[in-house]
Amino acid sequence: MDDVLVSARGLEVHFPVRAKGVGRRTAGVLRAVDGVDLDIRRGETLGLVGESGCGKSTLGNALLRLVPPTGGTVTFDGIDVTSLDRRRMRQLRRRAGMVFQDPFASLDPRRTVAQTVSEPLEVHGLHGGRRERAQRVGELLELVGLDPAVAGRYPHEFSGGQRQRVGIARALAGEPDFLVCDEAIASLDVSVQAQVLNLLRRLQRRLGLTLLFISHDLSAVRHISDRIAVMYLGRIVEIGPASAVGAEPQMPYTQALLSAVPVPHPALERSRRRIVLGGDVPSPANVPSGCRFRTRCPYVFEPCPDVDPALQPVGAAPDHVAACHLHGVVGTPVRHDEGVDVGS
Amino acid sequence: MSAAAPTPGPAPRSPAEPDAPARSSAAPDATAWSSAAPDATAWSSAAPAPAPRRARPRWQETLGLLARNPSAAVSAVLLLLLVLVAVFDETLAPSGPNEISVADRLQSPSLEHPFGTDDLGRDIFSRVILGAGVSLRVGFLAVAFALVVGSLAGLLAGFYGRWVDDVLMRAMDVLFAFPAVLLAIAVLAVRGPGAGNTALAIGIVYIPVFARVTRASVLGVREEVYVRASRSVGASDLRLLTRHVLPNAAPPIIVQTSISLAFAVLAEAALSFLGLGTQPPNPAWGLMLAEGRGYIDLAWWLAFFPGMAIFLTVLCFNLLGDGLRDVLDPRQRTLMSGGGR
Amino acid sequence: MTLLEVEDLRVRLRTPRGPAAVVNGLSYSVGEGETVAVVGESGSGKSVSVLALLGLLPARSATVTGRALLHGEDLLTMPPERLRQVRGPGIGMVFQDPMTSLNPVLTIGRQLVEGIRAHGEVSKADARRRAAELLGEVGLPDPRGTLDRYPHELSGGMRQRVVIAIALSNSPSLLIADEATTALDVTVQAQIIDLVERLQADHGTGVVWITHDLGVVAGIADRVLVMYGGRCVEDGTVDDVLEHPAHPYTRGLLGALPDLAAPAVDGEVPDLTTVPGVPPAPTDLPPGCVFWPRCPVRSDPRCETQQPPLAVVAASTGVLPHRAATWCAEEAPRG
Repeated sequence: MDDVLVSARGLEVHFPVRAKGVGRRTAGVLRAVDGVDLDIRRGETLGLVGESGCGKSTLGNALLRLVPPTGGTVTFDGIDVTSLDRRRMRQLRRRAGMVFQDPFASLDPRRTVAQTVSEPLEVHGLHGGRRERAQRVGELLELVGLDPAVAGRYPHEFSGGQRQRVGIARALAGEPDFLVCDEAIASLDVSVQAQVLNLLRRLQRRLGLTLLFISHDLSAVRHISDRIAVMYLGRIVEIGPASAVGAEPQMPYTQALLSAVPVPHPALERSRRRIVLGGDVPSPANVPSGCRFRTRCPYVFEPCPDVDPALQPVGAAPDHVAACHLHGVVGTPVRHDEGVDVGS
Repeated sequence: MSAAAPTPGPAPRSPAEPDAPARSSAAPDATAWSSAAPDATAWSSAAPAPAPRRARPRWQETLGLLARNPSAAVSAVLLLLLVLVAVFDETLAPSGPNEISVADRLQSPSLEHPFGTDDLGRDIFSRVILGAGVSLRVGFLAVAFALVVGSLAGLLAGFYGRWVDDVLMRAMDVLFAFPAVLLAIAVLAVRGPGAGNTALAIGIVYIPVFARVTRASVLGVREEVYVRASRSVGASDLRLLTRHVLPNAAPPIIVQTSISLAFAVLAEAALSFLGLGTQPPNPAWGLMLAEGRGYIDLAWWLAFFPGMAIFLTVLCFNLLGDGLRDVLDPRQRTLMSGGGR
Repeated sequence: MTLLEVEDLRVRLRTPRGPAAVVNGLSYSVGEGETVAVVGESGSGKSVSVLALLGLLPARSATVTGRALLHGEDLLTMPPERLRQVRGPGIGMVFQDPMTSLNPVLTIGRQLVEGIRAHGEVSKADARRRAAELLGEVGLPDPRGTLDRYPHELSGGMRQRVVIAIALSNSPSLLIADEATTALDVTVQAQIIDLVERLQADHGTGVVWITHDLGVVAGIADRVLVMYGGRCVEDGTVDDVLEHPAHPYTRGLLGALPDLAAPAVDGEVPDLTTVPGVPPAPTDLPPGCVFWPRCPVRSDPRCETQQPPLAVVAASTGVLPHRAATWCAEEAPRG
């Protein structure tokens, strides 16, 4: 099933930055998303992982044009999203829902659950009529495991997990094809995380949703995803079937990331070789030339600063690609007059 | 636990849209959209309801908290009385505002004339009551005008930012740069005195105050995730502004309204005192104060009672504003009611 | 040698909704060079229990009883002046958000030097030298340069290392870390954990590691204490508790974790087992087992009405007893 629902080509989101402090007001560019090619297939769950500041959240928002892309294109079911006018874009939003990280901030405190969940219905004129909408809200609440009787309550009466369910119900109200979960379980307690993960998985299957699950939590991503994409400094550096990326990561960054995830098995945890990366992630306002990971990579060699690696097939699994010169030097040579050299 | 429960059950699903093949292939599975996920039942029945308290609507809670703040509560009651007095002034006043009785001039307070009479023998009690109507009408009109224009400007400036913000807020800065009374005098000089023009003059002075308060509040609310969430489901700017941004940005604006009413009443009195507001022989507190000034050592009551009326009204609006600020500030709310977040 | 001995620690907080029993009879000890992990979800009382030890709860609304002996001296009855002296050289603290532990308007150096000089007769120059050493020790590049920087100029991981450096500045015998790595990325978390383990090996520091992350616990802890509803529901060695959990809550918590180590039978990952419902409010604890309202087992008639004591589990193996507070202890290996 290679039917692509959402597709990004050369997607860029750059933010202008002003340096802080007096007398240093030189403007720079923060490359939050910096040339991403990505196909999300109909009906799949794609996990997008990366550390804070890697641009995964911005990418998710840019796919829905909640953050305006500064370059490249996004197509949704064949429609070029980047060139739609505002009205048509708003209409298209019915077909894509988003679940946000903080369930305490993502619900308007002054609106009841019913008002929040029925907003997409009102906006898109679905289920016209007060009675029909109330009924639909009840169905949606049941769908996400809430008692429809709570429709008249305000968000502050609910726990975090319950609020996140309300957020999911809102995202599903327009019967979308595509659901973006942006760190949707990050602020929840472990036992509640599991409830929400199960719910998302079930909904995805039952409704045939295409799911983009953005998270820093590799275990959760591994659990829910069909494919995993790994992001580092605004780029996707590895993408492939969840089993392949999870078990045999091919890019040194993914390897380090996976090895750093603690697992709740004492014996295993003691014997595991943890790859501890040196230093910090470079600032997206000052991206290293060539391979972005080279400043922290334990295997860095000659071509890394000079050739910007392209995604190439790696490993045994089909469909598994990574951007790393260890698998053959492929990519665009860096033109040194424009590359930002931060040394190593 | 008395929320109306919409009867659950299989509902006719809207027909699948032609532009959504994936969705329409899932459409026959109508139950999918309408039945509960299996874990849902386990989740909602296994635990004896986590007992979310049925909270009262926000406005009720606000009123309840306000009632616990003595000075604000007393102020609110007094102001309510004042409004009633202003509405029923003609019925309440024992005599007309301009019933001149030369024989009764400059009488000290007595049973017949509780606040005494003035130099033309008019009953001051009646004139203070009738003056309430004038003062409040001008005050409310002025603040309403400033509130509408200023909040709209602040709302748009805060929400859209960029050049909208620059243009609107620079205009407000210019308006703000004029000394308030001078600006009001200039407006009245151009348009001539009278209640309506006084209200307009005071209103213009207070536009920038509302614009700034609203803008600051909107800037905070604009970045809230729920606004982005609402945008993500396709809400228009108008909807975002009216349903989400304005209601959540309202508390400081409400406080500002109460405090501005105090200033407006004071400004009306000042302008009338200067002879620019309400014109004689109409009763206005500021005007009465001015008229009584000449007799201050001869007949103190001429200036005293209108002065007290101004003083109490302004004080009440200010105390109410302070009380509202305490109650509407979410951090205060948590502290006082012990509620969750 | 035992560093810290906590006995029957209880914390009551006065809240507008009535008295809250936040910590209900917590006992544990931490030996030299030992790491004890206190595990629990939000509201389990794990953070309050350490704030109580350090005298950091508001005296007006908190009642703390029990004993907490640090080197034989009771922290709970200590006069505030003595407690302040103990906090630096006796106990170092690292909290979740490094930004709140650092003063944003003072340089890193100033904050470190202040800490060092507050607990000893050290000259400014010496204190500064020691500060630079510490920053090097916690793995910050360019320690001397970092001294003159402000907190906002550092990344989250670097800030947390500074906080650890401050906590270690008086070589405390006990380090308390409250969700110290929760806000950090996994690669940075790995660095911090490495650092703490190394320091522990070098100085024999005892560590109390408070977290909700059972993965971190598996890697760092010698002993584990699982808290729920302000009570310790299970404790024992890390292998006993994580590999043979006896309390239904511990089992539920472990089952709720997506497991990176044991996934997918060709593509089909089984659903996570979930703990239904939400934890009880400390103002309204159930009369019997604290976990009863959410418990999927409830196989004993006493569950609902009688509080189970912390009792040794049948198949307790290690040198330390493996105990669980439940009427339904089964020795079931995790599946």
